[in-house]
Order: sequence, then C-alpha cells, then structure tokens
Amino acid sequence: MTEGSILESLGSEIVGIVTPVSICMLLVVLLVQSLTPHGSDAPVASIAMLVYDEQPTDSFTEKLGGAMLNALVFVIIVALVTFLLVVLFYFRCTKFLRAYMGFSAFMVLAYMGGGVVVLLIQNFSIPIDAITFLVMLYNFATVGVLAVFFSKMPIFVTQGYLVIIGVLVAFWFTMLPEWTTWVLLMAMALYDVVAVLLPGGPLNMLVELAIARDEDIPALIYEARPSARNIAPMPNSPHSVSINSSATDLAGQATQIPPRWRRRVVTAPPPSNASIQLPANAVNESAINQETVRPVGISALRTESQPQPPGQAQALVPPHSTVVMDGVEGNSRAGGRSEIVNIEALLDDVAGNGESGVLSGAIKLGLGDFIFYSVLVGRAAMYDMMTVYACYLAIVAGLGSTLVLLTVWRRALPALPISITLGVIFYLLTRFLVDPFIVNLSTHYVYF
Amino acid sequence: MLDTKWETFERSSQRDEMTFVGGLGYTLIALGPAIALFFTVIIGKPFLILTLIVSIFSWLISLVLIAGVWRAFLPSESNVWVYIPLLLSAVCCQEAARRAFWHLYLKVEDILNKIAVRLSKPRLHTVDKLEIALAFGFGHGLAHVIFFCLALLTPSFGPGTFYVPGCTQMSFFLMAALTGLSFLIIHTFSMVIAFDGHADGNKSQQIFAPGMHFLATFATLVNLAEGGCVYGVSATLSCAVITSAVCWKIQWDKAGADPFTSSNLNRTHH
Repeated sequence: MTEGSILESLGSEIVGIVTPVSICMLLVVLLVQSLTPHGSDAPVASIAMLVYDEQPTDSFTEKLGGAMLNALVFVIIVALVTFLLVVLFYFRCTKFLRAYMGFSAFMVLAYMGGGVVVLLIQNFSIPIDAITFLVMLYNFATVGVLAVFFSKMPIFVTQGYLVIIGVLVAFWFTMLPEWTTWVLLMAMALYDVVAVLLPGGPLNMLVELAIARDEDIPALIYEARPSARNIAPMPNSPHSVSINSSATDLAGQATQIPPRWRRRVVTAPPPSNASIQLPANAVNESAINQETVRPVGISALRTESQPQPPGQAQALVPPHSTVVMDGVEGNSRAGGRSEIVNIEALLDDVAGNGESGVLSGAIKLGLGDFIFYSVLVGRAAMYDMMTVYACYLAIVAGLGSTLVLLTVWRRALPALPISITLGVIFYLLTRFLVDPFIVNLSTHYVYF
Repeated sequence: MLDTKWETFERSSQRDEMTFVGGLGYTLIALGPAIALFFTVIIGKPFLILTLIVSIFSWLISLVLIAGVWRAFLPSESNVWVYIPLLLSAVCCQEAARRAFWHLYLKVEDILNKIAVRLSKPRLHTVDKLEIALAFGFGHGLAHVIFFCLALLTPSFGPGTFYVPGCTQMSFFLMAALTGLSFLIIHTFSMVIAFDGHADGNKSQQIFAPGMHFLATFATLVNLAEGGCVYGVSATLSCAVITSAVCWKIQWDKAGADPFTSSNLNRTHH
C-alpha cells in the first residue's frame, strides 16, 4: 500500500527460492497421488537398489540392514562419480562435460519425461497418437536442453525446465521401496555435510577448483535471480556466499571471496577493493549486462542422471545440490552492520535487491536439493496428505534456517541436512502422534 | 489414514464426477476466504509470506506438542469428558504462542524500522503493522484449516462420502470445511485484535482473542451431543462472524480517528 514499503522488498530472495522448491514438491506430490496406486510399493530396479531388493514382507532388521547397504552403495557411487567429475573438470574436459550434461538432460527430459507422460496418458485416457506424441516430446526435450545449457532464453523458461528436471528425477526416486528411500535420504544428507564442508570433500574441491579457475561450477544449479527486475546480480559485489548442498563450496574463507564472482559479468567493473562501489552507473551497467550474464550462471548445470533400460527407475547421481548466495552483501556495508543481529543481516541482505540497488543477491540452490526435498515429500504423500503438509513445512523451515546460516557463516553450505532431518522428524511425529490425534478429534467433531 | 473408517463407503463402480466436484466445493468453502486473503494482501509482499510460513510452522509445533501429550489418553465414546482438559490445554498452549508472537513481533518491528532507515525507506506504516499481525493470525488460521480440514478432505474427492454417527444432518467433510472456515476467520482476525490491544494497552481487546478462542473451541463440544452438530457449527460460525465484525469495528474507528490510514484500511479488511 505504502509506496515502496519495506515489506515488499524484504525477503524476496528467500521467497524466490522457496517458490520453485514448493512448485517442484507440489508437482511431485500430484504425480505420486495420481499415478501411484495408493499404498502400494511397486519397486523398480535401480542403482539405489544394487545390493538389497526390499520386499514388503521382509522383517524389520532385514529391511533396515538392507536399506543401509543400499544407501551406502548409492552414496559411494555418487561420491565416485563426483570425483570423476572433479577429475574431468581438473583436466579441462569442458567439451566432454558439456556434451555429457546436454545428453543427460536430454535423456531425463525425453526418456523419463516421456515415461511420466505415458503414465499420465494411460491413467487419464487421453487420446493422442504416437507420432504427435513423439514430435512433441522431442521438441519439449530439445528446447529443454537448449534452455538449460546452451542458449540464452528468458530466465523463466530456464527455471521452468530446471524445476521439471527436478520433478521428473524426484518422481522416479519415489518408486524406491519405503525403507530404502528413508535411509537413502538420511545418507545423502550426511554425505552432503561431508562433501561440502570437509576440505577433501568432492563438492568442496569442485567448487574450489571452479572458483580458482574462474569458471562455472559444473553442476545443476537453480538460480533465483528475479526475472522481473532489471538489476543483475552485482558483478562488483565483493562478497559471495553460497549454501551448498552436495556440491560446491564457494567461499573457502570469507577473505578469499571477493574476486570470485566478478567473472560473472562480462564487463566487470573495477575490482572490489573499492568498497564504495555502488554508484548508479554500476547498477545500470550490470542491468545492461544482465542478458549476457545470465546464461553464464545458469549454465553451470550438470546432472549425472544416466539413462537406463526401460522399466528401471532412473538412478541419478545427485546433481551437485548447492545453494549459493551470489553477491549477497557488500563489504561496503559491513562496517555499518556489524552491530546488527543475524536475522537482521539476512533481511538486510535480502533487501539488497530493492530499488536502492545496494546489492542483488542471487541465491542458488542445487537441483539435488530440489530432488531430495521432493522425494521426501513424495514419499510422505504415499502415506497421507497430512504428512505431506508437515514435511513441506519442516523442509521449508529447514531451508529458511539454512539461508539464515548462509548469511551468518558466509560460505557454501549443505542445504540437505537441516531440511531432511526436520522433514524426517516431522514425518514420524505426524504419522505416529498428530495423525491419530487429529483423526480422533475431528471424527468427534471437536476442534480447537 | 482414515482407511479403517472409510470401509463403510458406498462405492460407486466408476470415478464419480459428483464427488470430485463435491471435494472441490468443500475445499473452497474452507479455503475461499483464505485464497482471497492470500492473493489480495499477502502475495505481493515477500516478508508477509515469510511471516506466514513461520506462523504456520509454529502452529504445527504447538500441535505436535499437544498431540504428543494427549496421544496416550485419546478419549473414546465412554470417556468423552477427557476432551475438556484436552481442549483447555490446547487453547492455553496456543494462547501462550500468541503472547510469544507479540514479543517476537515487537522485535521484528524494531528490526524492520532499523532496516527501513538504513535503506532510506519509510518506517513501518500503520497498515504495514496491521498486515504483519494479519499474516501471523492468518498463519494460525491456515494451519488449522490445513491440518483439521484440508488433510482430511482427500477422500472426499474419491467415490463415496462419510457420516459420523450422531450427526446425520451433514457429512464429515462439510462439517470439517465449515468449522475450518470459522477457525480460519477467528484465528486470523483475533490476532489482529490482540496485537492492536497489546499496542494500545487495551485490556478488553487483549482478553477478547483468547476469550473468543475458548468460546469457539468449547462450542464444538456441542457437536458431541446426539444431533448437536448443527448447533455446534452454527455457534462456531457465529464466533467467526463476531470476530471479524469486532475487528472491522475497531479498525474502522481507528481509521476514522486517523484519516491518513482510512483509505488503505478498506483494502486490508473486506
């Protein structure tokens, strides 16, 4: 109402990342609800089930042990592939990586997308002939690959395709048996911590390497850059902070951060040691550059999904899930804000993309986070909608607190652990405490 | 979840369009005002969205706590009186949460004003404050609707319906939707009234919010009586109407006293 009210600008970056995550989860839940026969586990073979083939009739210990083995093997494969990626990146096999990324994205969109659409067509008896379907599918997948990797498209299209890739992969993951899914989620959260935070962690190395070389991080990353606003992420922002979930550690130490992201803009303004670096023309310049700049950030995408023979769930080596807050806060204002509490720092950072043009932080979240959040929610959807809502709220709360930590610690952070832990805890609480409680109350028509 | 309860469904042989429309109808009854509120007030302001999420999540935590305490003592047909201490503790817990929210709000307001000054933006306006209070309350109301109504509505989209013995007048889903609607309105606007009361030091307004919450909650106990659900749901709906009317009255009077805000207030309260 009031022109330029602070409520309108504060938090827009967080909402910008929460919205696509929510959309992704919503789509997965809808798919699960409409395509999975209620309560049935129809396990499909996949890489996540190399060791143990879970059967609903197995005993508790068998399931737990087998699921842990499965998860362990899966995490080891993920780690190996990530190391392989680091090695390829180290030897600058950029062409190969790009081609592989494009190929895997095409396979996800065409093969897995096609599979889902065929299921939908069968389920809802949609009349369509094979040729039309194939042509449309081919177009859909090709545009997707181009949007995600190669050409400049409206950022909305790119973001949309990223969410679709996340939805498709997550949907196939929900076909894993129940115990394997839960243990796998927790194992991935643990792996995430190790891979991102430890110095020798593959994702950490990957990002360090990318930063040292001034290249793009080879990972599938969703970038929450507001498309409507014409303020590009500030090239000259001396700081970049990233949360990073299984992929990338952007900011080793805060002191090293400054030069790292300047590359993102083709014509980067002078180095950031000029701490009063935010004159109006800098803003304009970066706004002009936005179109050129955008694909650079976005194209840092990579999925390790491998196409598999028909009838198998896609096993996906998680794309390096990362939250990166790019150019969050300038040193220029650091002095002014030292006394401020953390939350305020966050709000402040987030407010940066306002008209004041102070800074525009683009938070980046790895697609792996999208996928595993959605897997959790999709798995919860196989029990009941109540667990879905609880898990959704828990995951968003976890994501929010990770973003708060991001501004406090100013380094790449794993985005899975807090959210997944909260999600699992609230799933159990809701399933065993809240659900019977609410059913009892509401079937007696007693509410509060 | 309710699987055991649904066994008595009259199942139709094929997908029933009528019940799908019915399910949609129940959802819209419960969520209609919520959708309107969300798209008119909340959606354009990211900070309000965050406030909303915090509020919903905290309500969920309070629900988990209450459920954890009472899970072992869930009443059955023979000992319905257990609902009285249960509801009492639940309402007390949530009113304590409201109190905590007020203190949180004071902090948030302070921080927002500091940031506003730094970004050379206007400090929080009366309407901004109202909207924050509204978002807090709306979060509580929405959480109630989500867990007590929306989560249970899923079966209503499928074939069949469900009636609880003792209430033949309306289906379980309609009952959940109507009560959900009432509590959505009560929670939303009583938070605005309470925050306003705290801000002005107005004791009667501070007492109004918990009072109305107690009243509406214990009105639902009427539903336990044979055929009492019609009266119970009317009572909770009246509580909702009273709450919104009181909220409207308070803000209208204030707006009259302060003409600067009057034009804006109409948009906050429809």
